[in-house]
Amino acid sequence: MELKEVMEDIARDIADATKTLFQSMIMMELKYNHVVLADETHLKTDVTSFVSFMGKYHGIVGIFCSKNFSLKVASSMLMEDLTKITTEVIDAIGEITNMIAGNVKTKITTDYGEMDLSVPITFIGGDTITQAEEDEPVASNSSILCVTKEPWLLTSFSSDKETFNVGLLLKESARQ
Amino acid sequence: MSKVLLIDDSAVMRKIIQRNIKESGLIVNEFIEAGDGAQALEKVSANELDLILCDWNMPNMSGIEFVKTLRSLNLPQKVPVVMVTTEGSDSKKLEAKNSGANDYITKPFTAEQLRDTLGKYLMIN
Repeated sequence: MELKEVMEDIARDIADATKTLFQSMIMMELKYNHVVLADETHLKTDVTSFVSFMGKYHGIVGIFCSKNFSLKVASSMLMEDLTKITTEVIDAIGEITNMIAGNVKTKITTDYGEMDLSVPITFIGGDTITQAEEDEPVASNSSILCVTKEPWLLTSFSSDKETFNVGLLLKESARQ
Repeated sequence: MSKVLLIDDSAVMRKIIQRNIKESGLIVNEFIEAGDGAQALEKVSANELDLILCDWNMPNMSGIEFVKTLRSLNLPQKVPVVMVTTEGSDSKKLEAKNSGANDYITKPFTAEQLRDTLGKYLMIN
């Protein structure tokens, strides 16, 4: 099977897994928009969270959203009104990525073999605090740039005018 | 007095599981938390537990390593272990069962799924 076909197959699983998660544990309506192969090498976003996987195929499942959307999602998940990026928000976003990746993995294991997942890694950009030489905190508007030579398969969703993207990078592992 | 050990590297997930258990009417008097399998082993030796809920993928010591180690201890009371994990494949479920886990819940879960499975081990109001 061509890699593109494999990715399209998996995109359907990503859409199912993401919608199931939002319905069952986040209690937010999420509208599926479309799937695209993003050829651009830069993905600019406020919040990025990755879980990598390794097996017959290897790659990354990543989520990309605004800071505002991450706060909405974490607030809904925790049933608390969260207005600032805290450790809990970062933890919640990581868990969401973990659950989407785990669900996708379960769905594709039958066709593509067993895979091992990493723990999630989450990056928050925008209003990043950096330390000046005089030890004065400085707020800078930075964003995480995700650079890759491979195209991302981006499954796009929206909720209340906000966009939530789930990305997949996939490569067939070298035979041993 | 029912005492439940929650093992998950995500504090948020431990919080969500506790909230769901409380809202579902399952009776738990005390929750004890651990962030990985190694921490959990310390908690096991220091507490009399009624139930253990255990994630799979964690740093330091994974959930499955924890279950295998726990069962190898030959404790006088065999505390039931329910895996609560994103690992949902049949092969992982079988591995968990063969390692000594009693039940399995896949994340994401609904409150009903949690109540139905944990209701086998905890009293319900």
